This record gives sequence, structure tokens and C-alpha cells, in this order.
Amino acid sequence: MDYIKIKNNRMKKIYQLTLAICILFSSCSKFLDIPPKSIVGDEDLFTSESGMDVYLARMYSNMPFEDFKYMAQWGVEFNGWLAAMGIEGTGEALNRDGISSAFTSERTPYWGKAMTLLRDANYLIENLPLYQDAFPEITYNHYLGEAYFVRAFVFNAMARRFGGVPLVTKVMQYPAEPAALEVPRASEEETWNQVLADFNQAAELLSPESPKRGYANKYVALAFKSEAMLYAGSVAKYNETVPGRLTGLGDKTGVRVIGFAENAWQPASKKYFKEAYLAAREIMSDGKYALYKKKWAANNPEAQYQNMVDMFSDVESPENIYVKEYTFPIATHGYDAYSAPFIFKAPLASGTCPTLDFMELFEGFNRYPDGTIKVTTGNSNTQGEYLMYDSPMEFFENAEPRLRAYVIFPGDRFKGTDIEIRAGVYTGAVPVQPLFNDYSYQAAETRYQNLNAYRATPKTLYLSPREGNAQELVDYNGTQMTAAGANGPFYDNGEGNLTGLYGRKWLNPDPAFVPGEGRSDQHFVLMRYAEVLLNAAEAAVELSLAGEGSPDGSDLLQVATEAVNAVRERAGASLLTSTITSTESGRNIVRKERRKELALEHKSKWDIRRWRVQHYEGRNGFWGENRNRDAFSNNTRYRFRGLYPFFSTSSGKYFFDARFQWVSLKTFEYNVIDYYFAIPGGEVAKSSVIDQQPNR
Amino acid sequence: MKKTTIFIALASLFFLASCSMFELDNYPAPAETLQGEVVDVATGNPVLTDQGSEGIRVRLIETSWGDNVTPNPDIFCMPDGTFQNTKVFRGRYNVQIDGPFIPLLREDERGVPIADETKDIDIEGVTQVRFEVQPFLNVEWVGEPRVVNGKIQAQVRVTRGVSESEFREKIEPMGGYSSSFQNVTDIQLFVSYSSSVGYRARDERWTKINEYTGSAFNSLLGETITLESNGTIPSGRIVFIRAAARINYDTPAGSGTRRYNYTDAKEVMVQ
Repeated sequence: MDYIKIKNNRMKKIYQLTLAICILFSSCSKFLDIPPKSIVGDEDLFTSESGMDVYLARMYSNMPFEDFKYMAQWGVEFNGWLAAMGIEGTGEALNRDGISSAFTSERTPYWGKAMTLLRDANYLIENLPLYQDAFPEITYNHYLGEAYFVRAFVFNAMARRFGGVPLVTKVMQYPAEPAALEVPRASEEETWNQVLADFNQAAELLSPESPKRGYANKYVALAFKSEAMLYAGSVAKYNETVPGRLTGLGDKTGVRVIGFAENAWQPASKKYFKEAYLAAREIMSDGKYALYKKKWAANNPEAQYQNMVDMFSDVESPENIYVKEYTFPIATHGYDAYSAPFIFKAPLASGTCPTLDFMELFEGFNRYPDGTIKVTTGNSNTQGEYLMYDSPMEFFENAEPRLRAYVIFPGDRFKGTDIEIRAGVYTGAVPVQPLFNDYSYQAAETRYQNLNAYRATPKTLYLSPREGNAQELVDYNGTQMTAAGANGPFYDNGEGNLTGLYGRKWLNPDPAFVPGEGRSDQHFVLMRYAEVLLNAAEAAVELSLAGEGSPDGSDLLQVATEAVNAVRERAGASLLTSTITSTESGRNIVRKERRKELALEHKSKWDIRRWRVQHYEGRNGFWGENRNRDAFSNNTRYRFRGLYPFFSTSSGKYFFDARFQWVSLKTFEYNVIDYYFAIPGGEVAKSSVIDQQPNR
Repeated sequence: MKKTTIFIALASLFFLASCSMFELDNYPAPAETLQGEVVDVATGNPVLTDQGSEGIRVRLIETSWGDNVTPNPDIFCMPDGTFQNTKVFRGRYNVQIDGPFIPLLREDERGVPIADETKDIDIEGVTQVRFEVQPFLNVEWVGEPRVVNGKIQAQVRVTRGVSESEFREKIEPMGGYSSSFQNVTDIQLFVSYSSSVGYRARDERWTKINEYTGSAFNSLLGETITLESNGTIPSGRIVFIRAAARINYDTPAGSGTRRYNYTDAKEVMVQ
């Protein structure tokens, strides 16, 4: 009992003392009211270059850049796991996993993160002017320009996903009345106009040279502006080609949140194409950047190939306009750990397997009359006998150097090693008839392991379900030969090769480099001069198709032709001999060039999205050129092909089979509603003004 | 010491008791049932469809919950044109269906309603609802299908369920009208081993698509059309077939989903 009493007494005293202190000190002046030293405020950040570095670094680390740490299936999560390129149903490449599916939504919609970053940019725009005196005018303008650049970039990233978005252009004061915090979605047209205005503002304010590595500059803003405006112009125009015109009004606000009004799309599309053209032309005429040709030599395919390999690893490339850099061990990614050939598995492999359909964009192969790559003596791959080659590389000896720089062929060298890719071994007599009698889309799921040649005893076709001890062995000239190559494909293991090809672009080619998760530090080129050239070319053809004159007096089609030829010359492809015409086929020359040059760079998925060529009715234009959609799709889904090398023991030669992708049977589905992603349901439900897409 | 322990124990019990820890903190599971059917207003026949996102979509909006409600997850009609949801919360709902028929909710380009034939109903117990719609097309079998050399030959007749002038009268005020909307774009003969044959359950090896460009099909309206399946169907098994046709008009507008009008399924023995 006493114990509790003593305690109570002591407590009472403590209370009294506390109370006394409170009363006494509350009457004092504000001498205690000083900012704590551990909190960094505006006057620390906005008054020195090192402070601004901190502020900008925070913004840049949250930018929705699409590099090694962007996965289309997941969205802007800065998540570098399973890094792979071109696997989102664009046809560039395939991957065994669920991440390889059409670009119809993102697991993390780009909404909340965008709002945070917009706030950072708006805060800088509103508060930096208070500290204007701290910097020379040119530096001050540059910093302000960075804020506009960030804002333009974010609005652009949102607009191409959702159409019209809430245009939050000032800092929201919180807490406040709910009504003051609610910003409805603007119309798609207003959104693109905001993107345009912010890029213009950025280009005006930013210095022509980045003051530091990684900072933006005027040309960075212009280059991304031309990319964004090309998107806007295409959407305005090609929404009209979608069944029933792709546009609609929001339920709650009546605002045209997607698409353009019937009387507005034409002037809008012309305006955006004009802006895209002028922005690209300004970069071209100022001459600060050039195509990378350090090792290039005319008529030397080997040099042209090596040149294009090096351009992605040379951080000093004059072609690089904007680059995301990595440094081991503080900022790294794992592209080599996920997308290298199977023999370099560390801990995964084969994330990026380019398709035969992609390869068919390039020059240097014999073709059937329908334009597909020729593997037999007949007029299609069900006719005639297989063409035989002494080595797999012989098939590729005339391949366009650019393709070889982007793709590892079966038997080509990588990291000082031969990359052995072999689907199987054929022991039957030569000449060999086509393995299947039906190569159509409908028969795509009948695979090599279903063939009688494989299932009969004795069999003439040997395949391997897995690597290592699971490989089937064939006696050949007294030695034991594995059925599948060291890299596969293995019909029961999607970790081996899938399509007969591997991606080479972005992989570290240094034999001494030991790959692993978080061990890669190659930089990623987010914007390069070749894209600027192609932006100018595409905008020029579109302007010309719309009957518009040249906005700067240049000859539109001449500019387009020269731009395409510059890219082709560097790539080792044949040059256009006549000027591009103002026709759909003229436009397709430029589109196809984009599909080729900018492949495996997270760009093509936006191109085919803005051209509106992914849904069935528009799918003939999927590849940038005209291809019969029914050859690779049914009315909802589509799939891609591989090129599978087989070794024939009775001739000692290789032959190739071209068929739909064999190992993981990837199919992709795309519908009209996918051209605009759904607004996150929670945002629609909790707000009285945010509209869902009207066609959902 | 012992008393303190007892005191603490009692106190904790007292505080925790206020947490209603013995009550089940959950809503009762939704238990009301909504049953519905979609019929042709002209004939009273059910509007046949397919169970999938290309079929008739049923959307429930629980208006009694509040003004700004997210629609319930969409459901789709069964192939016979009926639908049922046995897990609905009690309340007042707006029921809207979208399918190959004149849209029930029609608004002009500025979002001003022109007509609203959706239903607002209280769902309690087993609630039934019947939609009378004007299907774009009627697709019907003519005679019995034949099997020749592993190919199915079936005859169908396609007629308009809503006249061209009435279609135009109802759709044109919605804006962006084009005379191409009424063109029949394709007829499909779906073949499958499954009795729920349709767009989703079709065997691509045998399913036949007849496509028509522009208004090419107009002269075939009301005529008997012979469809023949693709490939060769192995003999000795029963397959199911269905035919479907659609026009160049998407519902709801802007979704790009052009839905089919169907025949019923037929069983065919491939000898």
C-alpha cells in the first residue's frame, strides 16, 4: 500500500512541475521558435547550386523514364527485376513469363507518382522566383526550365496513357476545402496543349548545354517535345480510323476526356505535327548532335555492325541527347542477369528473344513471293525442300549490319563465345521436306514434339526437353551431339532460347564482365539523334499528307528522304533512290524505318499505339508496313514467329524452319478500349469529378 | 504485488471489452438475386449471345449507395440471352445492358440524354427484369447442316431486326453518324467440340469467317447463305456449330466492340 502512495506523491510532483513550466514559458517571447538545424528548408535548397542539385536529383529520380528499370506490364515502379526489351506484344521480342503481354494496362497505373512529381515541379516554379537573386540569370532560368521540363514530361507520360488528365499546374495547399483540392480531368486536347506549352517554356528557359551531366538542356526539351507532339498529332488523326471514332465525354463532367471532336481533330492534328516538325528541325539545324559513326566505314558491313554495337556503350556518343547513367556499385541494374543468352545464366537468362517477324523488317535475306523469309526451295514454307547451309551463320551472311548489332544470330559471337542455338537434330534423308504441312495461325499449337518424326520409333527428329542431362543425344561422326544447342531452345524449359534469336542491344559485350543481379551499369539512351531525324521525317510526311505547306520553308519530303537515308546509311541498309512521296506508302517507309531503328528501346510500343494499328481492324499496319493481319492473328489475338535451326546428320548441314513461336506459345490480345488505359478505379470512386474512360 | 496483478488483469479486461471484440465486424454476404432476360421487342424471342466480353454486358450501378458509385463488376448474359446474379446486395440499382441492339441509353455528343431505357429497380429476394430491345440482326438456320468430307455446310439467313430508317432515326442524334454503321461486316460459322460454342469457345482450325467490305452484304440480306467450315474435322465425334453476324457499329459507342447476333447452337455428328 505504501509503495503505491509514494508513487502517487511523486507523480503529483511531476505533474505540478510540468504544469508550472508550461505556464511560465508560454508567456515568454518566441526565443524558442527557431527552425531546427536538421530540417532543410527552401532557403537552403533554393539559394545554392548544391542545394538545387539535391532538389533536382529528387525530381529526376522520380521521372517516369523507361529504361532498364521499366517494365511495361508493371508500369513506373523503378523495378529492374526481369529486365527485358520489346516484349509487350510489339513483336520485337518475346519472353517466357507473364510480363510478356500486350500493353493494355500497367500494374501500377501512372497516377499517384505523377501527382507527387507534379507537386515538386509546381513548387519549384512557384518558389524559386523568391530566391532569384541567388543565381546568375542564366542559371536561374535553367533551373526554372528544368521544372517546366519535368512537368511537360509528366503530363506527356500521363496523356499517352489516359488521354485527358487533371492539369494540376499549381501547388495545392493542404489542408483545404475538398472542393479546392478536386481537379477534374481536362479534355485530351487541353492536355496536349499543356504538354506543348510546358515543353515550349522549358526549351526557352533551359541552357543550350547541360550545366552538369544528367541535367536537361534546350535540345533535350525539343527532342522530347517532337516525340510528344508526334504522339498527339497521330492520336488526333488516327482515332478517326478506329471503328466508331475513338472519342467520348466523361460521365461526371461532360468533358471530352478522350479523343477529339469531329470538327477539332483535323486542325489539332496539323498543329501538333507542325510543332513536332519544327522542334526536330531546330535540333537538326543547330548541329549539336550527329549520328554515331566513329567506327563506321562505307561498304564495310563488319565496321558498320561494330559501330552500331558500340554506339550504345559509348557514353560520349554525339548521338546521345539524353541518357540515364548507372554506376557500379551505387546505382546499378540487372539487364545482363535476365536477358543474356542461356549459357551466361546469372541467375536467369533469355529474357529478350527477338522474333522472325521483326527480323523480316530487315534486308539481306531471300524471300518468298509474299515477302516472308525463305527457308525452302518452294514458293512458301510448306513447299519444296529446306535450303541447306554449312553453318547457321551462312544464312545471315548478307544480313543488314544494323540487325546484327541488335540481334545475336545462331552461331554468332558474343562475349568471345559462339552462341549455339539449335532447335533439334534431323537424322532422316536429304533433301528434307518441310516438317509441317500447315504453318498457319490456326495450326500454331501443333509443335515439333507433336510430329511423327519425333514420336515414332525409330525417330528421325531429336529434340531436348531441357538442358544438361535431359538433352537427347545423337551419334554423329563418332561423337555424341546434343539435340538442342547449348542455349536451347528446350521444349520444356522457357529459360532457354525461345525464338532462335537473342537480343544483343544493351547487353554488356565485355568478356571480362561477370553478370549478376545489380551488377550491370551500362547507361540507357533515352533520346538519341536518330529518333529526332525520324520524328522530323514522320511529321513531314504527315503534314504533306494533310495538304499542309512547310512551316519553315524547307522541302518537307526532301527533308524526310534525307533523314531516312542518313539513318539507313549508318545502318548499312540500302538507300532510297527517289524522294518519299506524299502517300500512305511514303508514310510507311518512315514508319518501317522507326520500327527498325528504334527497336528494343521501349519506343515501338508507343508508336504502334499512336498509329492505332493494334486492334484487329487496323492490324494490317502493325509492322509499319502493310502485312496481312490474318497471317499472324485472328480477330482478337495475335502471335509471332521464330526461326529454328536444325542440324541434318545425313548432310552435315543446317536448315531453318520458320514457324510460330514454339516454346512458350505466347499470344497477345488487344482491343480498341486499350488505346486509353482505365483510370485507376479508386481515383474514380473517391472523387466526384474524376471521370472513368467513357468507353469502359 | 498480487493485487497489482489482479488490478492490471481486471483493467485490461475492462478496456478490451469496449473493443466489441466478440462481435463479427463484417457485412452479411450479399444474398439477393437478380434474374433477367433480353428479348426482341418485335417477336418476343430471346436475343441470343455469347458468354464473354463480346456478348451482352450487364452493368449494375447501386444508386442507393450514393451519387458517385463505381459500377459492380460487369456480368455477361448466358448464350440464351438470360442472366442471373445470385450475389447482389439489397438496394436500388440502375441496370444497363449493352449488346447487339439499339443502345438503351442514348446521349448526344454533349452528353445530353436523348433516351434512357435502362431500368432502375429495387433488388430484394429474387428480382426479375426483362429488357425488350431491338436487335441489329436476326440470324437463323435454314434447314439442317450437312457434313461433306469432314466439312460442315450450313445455311443461314440474315435479316435486319431494326429497319434502316429506324436505326438511323435512333442513332443519328447521338452524333458522328455514318451510313456505313449498318453494313454487315462479317458472318462467322463457329465450330467447337464444346456445346457452349461461340466467339470464345471456337476451334480456330474449323471456324469459318466470311468478310464483306462496304455495303456488299446488302443484297444478301434475307437470302439463304451457305457457310462451309474450314479444314477437315476428324470423323467420329460430335461437334457443335453456331452462326453469328454483326454490323459495323460498336456498343457502347467508342468501345470498338462490335457484338454479334447469334443463331442457337446445333449439334452435328461428323461421320
